[in-house]
Amino acid sequence: MGSEGRHWPLPEDAPAFADLSRCVHCGLCVTACPTYVVTGREAESPRGRLYLARAVSEGRIGLTEAVEAHWDLCLQCRACEAVCPSGVPYGRIMEHVRAQVAAAPAKGRFARRLRRLVLRNLVARPGVLAAAVAPVRWFAGSRTRRLAVKAGLLRLPSMVGRLEKQLPHAPGRPLRAGDALPEVEAASSRAVLFTGCVMGELFGNVHRATARVLARAGIQALAAPGQVCCGALSAHDGDLAFARGLARRNIEALELVGEDPIIVDAAGCGAALKEYEQLLAGDREYAVRARAFAARVRDASEFVAELPMKVPARLGARVTYQDPCHLAHAQRIREAPRRLLAGIDGCTLVETVASDLCCGAAGTYGLLQPAMSAALRARKAAAFHRVRPDAVATANPGCQMQYEAAVREAGLSARVVHVMELLDEAQARAGG
Amino acid sequence: MTTRRALVDRLASVVGPSNVVHRREDLLVYEFDGTIEQSLPDAVVFPGSTEEVAAVVRACNSLGVAVTPRGAGTGLSGGAVPAQRGVVVATGRMRRILEIDPLERLAVAEPGVPNIQLSEAAAEHGLFYAPDPSSQKACTIGGNVAENAGGPHCLALGVTTNHVLGLEIVTADGEVVTLGGRTCETSGYDLRGVFIGSEGTLGIATRIVVRLLPVPAAVVTLLGVFDSVERASATVSAIIAGGMVPAALEMIDRLCLQAAEAGLQCGYPADAGAVLLVELDGVDEVVGPQAALATAACLAHGAREVRTARDPAERELLWKGRKGAIGSLGRLAPNYYILDGVVPRSRLVEVMARVSEVAKEYGLLVANVFHAGDGNLHPLLLFDDREPGARARVLEAGAHIMRACVEAGGALSGEHGIGFEKRAFMPWLYGEADLENMERLRGVFGNGGRFNPCKLLPTGTGCGEMGHNQAAMRAAGPEAYV
Ligand SMILES: Cc1cc2nc3c(=O)[nH]c(=O)nc-3n(C[C@H](O)[C@H](O)[C@H](O)COP(=O)(O)OP(=O)(O)OC[C@H]3O[C@@H](n4cnc5c(N)ncnc54)[C@H](O)[C@@H]3O)c2cc1C
Ligand code: SF4
Ligand code: SF4
Repeated sequence: MGSEGRHWPLPEDAPAFADLSRCVHCGLCVTACPTYVVTGREAESPRGRLYLARAVSEGRIGLTEAVEAHWDLCLQCRACEAVCPSGVPYGRIMEHVRAQVAAAPAKGRFARRLRRLVLRNLVARPGVLAAAVAPVRWFAGSRTRRLAVKAGLLRLPSMVGRLEKQLPHAPGRPLRAGDALPEVEAASSRAVLFTGCVMGELFGNVHRATARVLARAGIQALAAPGQVCCGALSAHDGDLAFARGLARRNIEALELVGEDPIIVDAAGCGAALKEYEQLLAGDREYAVRARAFAARVRDASEFVAELPMKVPARLGARVTYQDPCHLAHAQRIREAPRRLLAGIDGCTLVETVASDLCCGAAGTYGLLQPAMSAALRARKAAAFHRVRPDAVATANPGCQMQYEAAVREAGLSARVVHVMELLDEAQARAGG
Repeated sequence: MTTRRALVDRLASVVGPSNVVHRREDLLVYEFDGTIEQSLPDAVVFPGSTEEVAAVVRACNSLGVAVTPRGAGTGLSGGAVPAQRGVVVATGRMRRILEIDPLERLAVAEPGVPNIQLSEAAAEHGLFYAPDPSSQKACTIGGNVAENAGGPHCLALGVTTNHVLGLEIVTADGEVVTLGGRTCETSGYDLRGVFIGSEGTLGIATRIVVRLLPVPAAVVTLLGVFDSVERASATVSAIIAGGMVPAALEMIDRLCLQAAEAGLQCGYPADAGAVLLVELDGVDEVVGPQAALATAACLAHGAREVRTARDPAERELLWKGRKGAIGSLGRLAPNYYILDGVVPRSRLVEVMARVSEVAKEYGLLVANVFHAGDGNLHPLLLFDDREPGARARVLEAGAHIMRACVEAGGALSGEHGIGFEKRAFMPWLYGEADLENMERLRGVFGNGGRFNPCKLLPTGTGCGEMGHNQAAMRAAGPEAYV
């Protein structure tokens, strides 16, 4: 590393020059970038953001608020990374850049500190998280919500109003680490279900659907105890130290249950878990363990699509699939979920334009950058309006929430589901 | 001298304050394009309409500030780099496709529309826009017009100028003018043709009418795998001599295909000396026999293997490698200097040998991609700009290579344009009188040398950084070559 980091406030986590210099500014990535697509501006493009990082790295400019604003607008969707012929590890660079911004001693960072504090105390503490989410979950499925919407109480352009639009309508019971899942008779193998933080609290239904899909293939799912948040939200926010702590805890917890595959039904978590080796690169012992760990991690669609046993599934519906960024771009999985949906008897898979352009949810982004988030959501709403699906399927909780809002914006009544939920339902209908 | 403040205020009064940027951090990302050139503008402005473009140009003229048009900044000759600072006029807000007329088979677009979107929008009518630069996902139609861009599929179908019917432009004087129209033939001087390829030195295209073609019924894509560039080149000559004009005929050398394979997993055998991509299209009855002939030609010239793409996905993968080949070189070195020489096809092998020789002399790694069918070569010299003296060495080696192309009876640019860095070489091809005439033509559109200055023509003052390239040129041979 040497003097590379000397213009950054946190030299040990400075973006590596070898990473930055891989960008030859060919520009092939710009139109894959949602924020460039919306703004048409170079500073809101991957190439622009990398160029600014390099300029800071070389001491040409300081870490000013103007620079930070361009980085802040980045969704960390990694669409740029997937199309870059030069292999610029954009995701890694941006995590390191965010770590610098968070460490910078300038003023006006109160909000960032607060965010970090909340994140640290929420996602890693199951009890606190459960207590915090409980009222939200209650509200999501309540009569109060329906009445409030009817009365127009939430039409205010407030944070509450925005949140309301995104909540699932029947969140179901949570599923947390250590919870029991129905026993599968004569199971032929076992798999760990990664429960996550918000996912487990608000999308317990999805986890259960995944477990049932696995069960029909003779696989016993296990919500192994001791696992915690994957750390993605913290890493994206630049809180690498904290993310590393979570990674170590997950590695330890899931090593205890053996070698079974780790099935993840939240694309963002899956991408993070698969990249633990990179996150822990500075820690020799854990980096090695992380590699063995990552080799076990599979996205639910990826895993199920490859199972030799085909379970009959039937469901008459027009379904559109929207790629979660961290599935399509970070994990490069595009075909598996489509194959599963197209394999459902009676299901018509309809494609929209730009199904792999970020929906604007992006973890906490929707709250921090409401205007860009809304602009991207509006594109999805317009796309849905054109193809008029019965259901919108995706594979990540944040996206699901954003699509709830987009569908409503489009004036449609389509339901928003996880691929596993739809598959589970279709299998159940086919008599499984 | 106008102060920056006054300039920004004046521009803001035309396009609104949110459409002018002027902080250093915001300007920095407009100091470059796809090349290694750099120069920081004083302001960047995003006009939203033809009228705003015209008003911006007039404002800059009245303040005596240089104007440089910019599309997506993928250019490979420094065209969008504001050599004398001043104002960059970016087309990022003018990105609408205004019309697709399937009966007339044409489209009308604003200049900032990415090339590929024309084909995407025309697809529902079974039509497409033919010129397909490798950068087509990002580069704009306005930038294509300015550079008269080509692409792999331009071998049979022709380059940008063969597909643009008409233009609305704002001249360097700030006047709105229409050139050409909606049909192929217009009477009088072909000013449309003059503007296309003028590298943003005559004005800014604000509306572009392009011809659309029907998507061919059948397509076959072959990948010939060779042990050497020589064998692949001989195959190219044989295919063309056989009377066939494939839709595309592209060659990639070892270094380049290795980088592409590493970056894009496109299925190129990494131990090959060169691969040849041959695409044939048209009706089934013709394409089948042509593919057989092309395959035979490959094998007759020592191809180790000839693969045929089995489906559109496989075809796309083969093309992904070719289209990402240049960008993938970032895996090998932090910088590359890309050349764009054209030589008669028959001299390709000989010039290639010279290219390797020069690279060796200067201790540089060189990778090559070719639009082999047109004799258009793109040697890419790899280097690290942080190394003292590296840039000068690369420029000098580049000058020797360009010289070799000219001496072989070729040209200075196949498709990337002359731009900033290659303008010093113009006297190799043109005498003083020719250059003067070009200068006069430029003057007709207005400007007084302040419109995209220091580009295309070797005249003009105050282009400081030009110094090193002139030195490079002198090293490569006498100035007056013709
Ligand atoms: C990886 C890679 C591969 C490439 N492959 C090819 C290829 O196969 N074939 C090929 O021909 N080129 C290729 N290029 C070069 C480049 O993409 C083309 O020259 C393209 O036409 C530039 O378009 P742009 O929008 O990026 O223009 P810019 O780079 O922004 O500008 C290029 C020039 O056009 C001018 N200009 C831009 N917009 C306008 C306008 N509206 N009116 C007037 N002038 C304007 C600018 O002033 C400048 O002089 C490649 C580039 C890269 C990086
Ligand atoms: S990130 Fe990759 S694709 Fe984008 S400009 Fe840099 S090298 Fe090109
Ligand atoms: S991660 Fe997404 S938003 Fe950020 S630069 Fe890349 S493409 Fe753009």
